[in-house]
Amino acid sequence: MTSPLLSVKNLVVEFHTSEGITRAVNNVSFDIPQGKTIGIVGESGSGKSVTSLAVMGLLQKPAARIPQGEILFNNQDLLKFNDDQLRAVRGNQISMIFQEPMTSLNPVFKVGDQIAESLRIHKKMTSKQAWARAVELMNQVGIPKPAESAHKYPHELSGGQKQRVMIAMAISCDPKLLIADEPTTALDVTIQKQVLDLLFKLQQEYKMSMMFITHDLGVIGDIADDVVVMYRSNVVEKNKAKEVFTTASHPYTKGLLACRPKLGANPRRLLTVSDFMTEEGVEIPIDIAKIQVFDKQEEQDAKKSEILLEVKNLVTQFPIKGGIFGKTVDHFKAVNDVSFTLKKGQTLGLVGESGCGKTTLGRSILRLIEPASGQIIYNGQDITNVRAEELRLLRRKMQIIFQDPYSSLNPRMTVSEILTEPLNIHNVGGSKNERLDMAKALVEKVGLKTQQMNRYPHEFSGGQRQRICIARALMLRPEFVICDESVSALDVSIQAQVLNLLLDLQQEFGLTYIFISHDLSVVNFIADEVGVMYAGKIIEMDKASRIYKNPKEEYTRTLLKAIPKGDAKTELASLV
Amino acid sequence: MKNHSLWRDAFGRLFQDKWAVASFIIVIAYSLVAILSAMGLIAYDWAREVGGSNLPPSAEHYFGTDIFGRDVLSKVIRGTQIAMSVGLATSLIAIPIGVILGAFAGYFGGWVDDLITWLYTTFSSIPNIMLLISITMILGKGLFAVYVALGATSWVNLCRLIRGEVMKHKEREYVQAAGAIGGGHFRKLFKHILPNVTHIIIINTSLQFQIAIKSEVILSYLGLGVQGEPSWGTMIDDAKLELSRGVWWQLAGATLAMFVIVLAFNLLGDALRDSLDPKLKGK
Repeated sequence: MTSPLLSVKNLVVEFHTSEGITRAVNNVSFDIPQGKTIGIVGESGSGKSVTSLAVMGLLQKPAARIPQGEILFNNQDLLKFNDDQLRAVRGNQISMIFQEPMTSLNPVFKVGDQIAESLRIHKKMTSKQAWARAVELMNQVGIPKPAESAHKYPHELSGGQKQRVMIAMAISCDPKLLIADEPTTALDVTIQKQVLDLLFKLQQEYKMSMMFITHDLGVIGDIADDVVVMYRSNVVEKNKAKEVFTTASHPYTKGLLACRPKLGANPRRLLTVSDFMTEEGVEIPIDIAKIQVFDKQEEQDAKKSEILLEVKNLVTQFPIKGGIFGKTVDHFKAVNDVSFTLKKGQTLGLVGESGCGKTTLGRSILRLIEPASGQIIYNGQDITNVRAEELRLLRRKMQIIFQDPYSSLNPRMTVSEILTEPLNIHNVGGSKNERLDMAKALVEKVGLKTQQMNRYPHEFSGGQRQRICIARALMLRPEFVICDESVSALDVSIQAQVLNLLLDLQQEFGLTYIFISHDLSVVNFIADEVGVMYAGKIIEMDKASRIYKNPKEEYTRTLLKAIPKGDAKTELASLV
Repeated sequence: MKNHSLWRDAFGRLFQDKWAVASFIIVIAYSLVAILSAMGLIAYDWAREVGGSNLPPSAEHYFGTDIFGRDVLSKVIRGTQIAMSVGLATSLIAIPIGVILGAFAGYFGGWVDDLITWLYTTFSSIPNIMLLISITMILGKGLFAVYVALGATSWVNLCRLIRGEVMKHKEREYVQAAGAIGGGHFRKLFKHILPNVTHIIIINTSLQFQIAIKSEVILSYLGLGVQGEPSWGTMIDDAKLELSRGVWWQLAGATLAMFVIVLAFNLLGDALRDSLDPKLKGK
C-alpha cells in the first residue's frame, strides 16, 4: 500500500494569550490518501479550521504554537520547513478555498489577472500564457463566457461565480491537495449544490486529494470518502463516509446526524447533541419518545383559528437612478404583487434564493421599509398607512428577529440594557427593578443564565446571541414575529436548539410566525404553510407537507433537488 | 465572572503600550501645569524682573532670562497655559458642531445632508490660515478671537468622519432592531449610533488638540494671536532677533515645550486609534 499524501500525526496546537493557554487541537491524527476526499466535521470552535491552517502553515505566530505532532506531506514534515520551503508548497502543491468569496477576492483587480497571478509566480508562465490558462480554467469551473468574464471585476460576479473563481485560482497550479474551508456555507442551496458538484468533478479530473471542512454533515455525505468528526479539539470519530451515516458510534456524531431537520416527517422537537450525551461527553441512552415522528398534516387540519394577518397585492419597489443628475429612471420591484393570509398561532415559511424579495417582504409587512402599494391588514386593521405614532404602538405586537446575531445587537450595551430598552420605549412595567425582573424571567426562558445579564454581546457565542435577540423580540409579549433567516448563521447543532426554542415559545405564548429562510428542510420542520418566492412573487403556496411531496412549479423542484442528501439516508431509529 | 465592555478592553490594550502611557502622562502633566498656572499658583509673577538681561540658563533660572530680565521658565509655563486653553476651547467649540452636524447629515441624508455637506465643503475650500486671519481681523486680536477662529475651522474634519461613520452604522441591523421595537429617530441616533462612533471623536480630538496648539503658535508668531501675555509663538517671534546675538534659550524653551506636547498628542492619537479601532491598525 502506498503511503498517504498527507498524514497528520498526534498534532497539538496551543494558543498562548494573556488569559492563558488554550489547546485548540488535541492529539489529532488522520490520513488523506492520494485522490481521496476527507471531510472534517465539527461545530465552530472545535478546532477544524485551526487544523487546516496548521497544514497550510498559516497559523498566527507567535500566539499559536505546535508543541507536538507531525504533518507529513509526501513523507516530508511540513512543520520542519522554513518559510521559503513552505511558500513553494503553499499555493502550488497545497491550495485552499475559503468560506467567504465576497472578501477573498481583491476588488480592484480583474478576476482573470487574479487567477493568472499565481500561474506567473509558481509556474513561471508569461503574462500571455497565464491569461490564456486563466480563461481555460474559468471555462472548466463553469463560468459563462470565460473570455469576457476574465475581464470583469469581482463585484460584477454573483456570489456563486466568485466562489467558482476562487476554485479556479485554487486549482490553477494543479495542486495535489485542495483544502476547502466551509466553501459553500455562505451560498444559497441551489448554488451550494452546483459548487459541490463542481468540486467533486474537478477532484476526479485532476486526481487531487481534498480536505473538506464543514459544520454540516449533510453537505459532505455526497462527496467525501472518509469522515473525521471533531468535537472540542479532539477527533471523536473517524470512519468511511457511508458508515458514519449508517452506524455512527460516537454520541456526538449521532447528535449531529439527528439535529438536521429532514424533508419528510420530523419528530415534534429536533433532537440535539445534548439528547445523546452530557456536557462531559458521557453517552446517555436516547428516549424513544423523542424520536417518534409525527404527521403535521392531521394536526393542522384540526386547527381552526381566525385570520391574524392579511396581505393584499403588496408591492415594494426601489428606485433605479440614472443619468448625471441621479434622476429616478425606473423602479425595481423587490416585492411584486404578493398576497396571502396568515392564521393566528400558525407559521408561514417563506423560501427562496437570496435576492428573491423575501427579506424585503418581511420588512414591508412591519413597515420598516415603506411599501409602494397594496394593503396590509393586521387583526382587522389596515396598517398600510397608519401614522408614525400609531405604528410605534403596533410595534409592541409585531416583532422581528434578524439573521445575523453579530450585527443585530448593539455592542456598547449590556444584555440587561438591550432587553429592558423595549420596555422603556413603551413604558411597560413601572420601576427599573420590575423591568429587570421581566427581563430575567425571559432570559431564563430562552436558556441563558441571569448572571450573564451584565455582560456585553461580544462575550457570547453566536447561538447565545441569537437567544438574546429572541428574548428582545419577546420582551413586549408580541403576537406576531418575523424570523428573517434567524438560524442561517448558526451551526447545525445550534440551529436545532434555536428551532426547538422557537417552537416552545410559540406554544407557550401563542405566537404567529413568518419564518423566512433559504433552507427548505428548516422551513419544512417549522412551518405549517410554505410560500416559495421567486423574483418578487410567491409562485407557489401550500401546506408544508404537500409542497414537499408534490411540488407544482419547476423552480420548487429545483430547490428541493439541491438539498444535500447526505444524511437523509440516516434513519433516526438507527441512532438509538 | 468579569464583564468586559469594549471600552474596558480598548483601554486595557492602550495601557499595554508604553509609549501611549508615557504620552498620556505628559498630557496630564501639561494639563496640571496649565491648571496651576491658571489658578495663579505658579508663574504668576512672570512679568517681574528677576535678574539681569539675557542671562544664560543657570541653577537659579533653568531656562535663563529674557531681554527684560524676566524668567523664561515662567514664560514657558504661562505659554503652556495659553496653549492648553486654546486646545481645550477649540475642542469645546468644534466637537459639538462637528458631531451634531455630522450625525444629522449621516443619519437623515437627503436635503439635510446636502446642506451640511455644502457647508463643510465651503469651509474646507477656504485655506485655513486665510480664514483664521480674517476672523481675527473681524473680532480683533486676542485670545478670544483665537478660540473662535480655531473652533470655527476645526469642526470640518470631525464632521466629515462622523457623517461617514453614522451612514455606515444606520444600515446595521442593531439600529433596525431598535426601530422594530418602536424606537424613534432620536433614540436610534443618540442612544444606539453615537456610542458606537465615540471612538472617532476621541481619536480626532487628540489629534486636533495639537493642531490647535500649533495654529495658536503660528497666529501669535504672526502677531495675530495672544496680546500682552507670553505665548510660545510670541516667544519664538522675540527670539528670532536675539538668536544672532547667541541668546538661544528663549527659543529653545518655547520650542521644546511645544515639541514635547505635540509629539505626545500625536503618539497618543495613534495609540488611541490602534486600541479603539483595531481594524484600522496597519498590518
